[in-house]
Amino acid sequence: MMVRSIAQKEFISTLRDSRFVVLSAIVLLLLLAATVVGLHSYSTLQAERDAAQQTVNDQFANSEARHPHRMAHYGSYAFRPKSSISFLDFGMDSYTGASVYMEAHKQNSANFSQAQQSSSLIRFGEMTVAFVLQMLIPLLIIFLCFGAFTQEKETGTLKILLSQGTSLRQVAWSKIAGFSKVVALVVAPALVLAALLLFGRGGFELNGDLLQRLLLFIGFYLVYFFIFIVLSVVVSALHQRSSTALVTLLGIWILCCVIIPKATANLGATLYTTPTKAQLEADVHEEVAKGIDGHSSGQDERTEALKNELLEKYKVSSVEELPVNFDGIRMAAGEEHSTKVYQEHFNELTDIFRMQNRISEYAGFLNPYLAVRHLSMGMAGSDFNHYVNFQNEAEQYRYNLAQGLNHIQATQLKYGDKETRLSSDTWKEFQPFEYETPKAGWALANHLVSLIALFLWLVLVCTVGMKLIDKTKVA
Amino acid sequence: MEYVLEARKLCKQYQDKLALRDLNLQIEAGEIFCLLGQNGAGKSTTINLFLGFIQPTSGAAYINGLEVASNVTKVKEHLAYIPENVMLYPNLTGLENLALFSNLAGFDYSEKELMDYLVQAGLPAEAAKRKVGGYSKGMRQKVGIAIAVAKHAKVLLLDEPTSGLDPKASNEFSDLLLKLSGQGTAIFMATHDIFRAKEVGTRVGIMREGELVDVLSTTALNANELEKLYLNYMHN
Repeated sequence: MMVRSIAQKEFISTLRDSRFVVLSAIVLLLLLAATVVGLHSYSTLQAERDAAQQTVNDQFANSEARHPHRMAHYGSYAFRPKSSISFLDFGMDSYTGASVYMEAHKQNSANFSQAQQSSSLIRFGEMTVAFVLQMLIPLLIIFLCFGAFTQEKETGTLKILLSQGTSLRQVAWSKIAGFSKVVALVVAPALVLAALLLFGRGGFELNGDLLQRLLLFIGFYLVYFFIFIVLSVVVSALHQRSSTALVTLLGIWILCCVIIPKATANLGATLYTTPTKAQLEADVHEEVAKGIDGHSSGQDERTEALKNELLEKYKVSSVEELPVNFDGIRMAAGEEHSTKVYQEHFNELTDIFRMQNRISEYAGFLNPYLAVRHLSMGMAGSDFNHYVNFQNEAEQYRYNLAQGLNHIQATQLKYGDKETRLSSDTWKEFQPFEYETPKAGWALANHLVSLIALFLWLVLVCTVGMKLIDKTKVA
Repeated sequence: MEYVLEARKLCKQYQDKLALRDLNLQIEAGEIFCLLGQNGAGKSTTINLFLGFIQPTSGAAYINGLEVASNVTKVKEHLAYIPENVMLYPNLTGLENLALFSNLAGFDYSEKELMDYLVQAGLPAEAAKRKVGGYSKGMRQKVGIAIAVAKHAKVLLLDEPTSGLDPKASNEFSDLLLKLSGQGTAIFMATHDIFRAKEVGTRVGIMREGELVDVLSTTALNANELEKLYLNYMHN
């Protein structure tokens, strides 16, 4: 009854405070605007990508009669579909690019665009729902809660409250409950709107995975807000004056939301340096050159060894007598080698980015903002892991496509035949690229560190915070 | 005999300052004990010790036979407290403030009952439904009294409650204290107001530099004599 009474008092008092109403209205409007704009942006981009993917698929399937290896170089594009709830958190989508050009022999340069564009993946600045939830709602919470205890001390009401038989902990939990209700009142309309827009406008199927992602997304933010509410109430309890409590909380906000994220990104980039695009391409080129060159008809040692192996296998004396086209076999061997080299370098590069991100993830133990940011991007499907997953899927498709065309060349064309053209019926047999976003469980498993960090913060503020509140000076 | 409010060799030391020295005091049910003293004499420290807001350095305070330091929550059932300046919650009405504090004390009154308490405390009925933010100090103080009365506490601790009140409000306040005293409530009031202390008090204590230097019966001397005695203590 005590907790409910004080919580209700906080709720009513806050709603009657015109300053809070104005501030909340601004934040709510920003949140609603970010939701609508984000969804509009998502819809536009997704429609463009769908149309572009359809166009390139049609172009490939209806391509004119060509030699299979010409077709392998003609290639195709893989457009990364945006995750359904990525409109809530753009994450790295804006920095990772949307399409991959898939052609024979090499992963195109877009795969390595991060090495070209930045020293770190962790750069943000867009006005998204996640930005409002991560940065502005904590600020609103701070303005809401900084006087939770200090105002009671300054006005003397804390003594009256306690003289009625309540304990400091009960007062603290009551205030936390009351403020939580107020924050829910600001955030809930935007989340309801997001859900309505997401499921009510068509185009989105309410499948289990999407619902899981959305619920986890909301759940993580609720925990994050709760941490900030408890933290603000505890800080207020430890101060005697509202002004000093506010300054302390604003300092914490700047540290958590501005300084630590920037510092960890810079630290990651310094500790784990990414190679330049030129360096990367030079390294790849050098190693690819050590393998079979699918295009070369020259008699290098590796090609000679492959030829001899085949001649021995089929017990013939020349490539013309082989039951398979040696050109296609050589192309396939070259493709295998160059893909292996590219993939090794791509993996090395992604490992460097992962190490950079890991610093940021572990910094979540120092800063709940970083923990929720990673979880938010993960659930929205706009984090680095989703990007790499798409890259790998696209690369797998590219490899299979190139090898499929090499197989056609090896089995349907004669050795040295560079003139035969195959009709578009051949290309139609290749399934177009289709990408399926990984499941929520996969996304969550990639952010276990952030998940643990966020819940550790929750436990920490609720236990250590309450112990500190017990020691609050009343008189 | 069991006293409703008692201090036994109660001491409070703040680092380099002795705020309260060996306070021995017993107050019976229905008694109004007024504690006079300058600012910093130890009056508020004494009240804070009875409220359990601070721990004694030595000695003990008792409310209704319970030692305060080891029964901080339990003793609150028996006491009510009115500070010098009852600020309350400005965004709530007088009724809502009273409902809140009564709920915290474990009472769930109807609106009519709450209104009765406020009117009994001297607050006009029309004011009870207005936000406290627009109240005068006297009106807030009356809500504070209503909070204390509605709790039906055996002990009422008042920390300079008439400070800043106009004479009319101050008089009404005195009447209320006498009424509560008549109902058996023990009242401990720290005050600067010698004449108010003489008017309502059963006994008056004079505190100087953390020490209770004298306890007088108000029937034994008039207001002028009390003032003279008080000033003597302050000047010596």
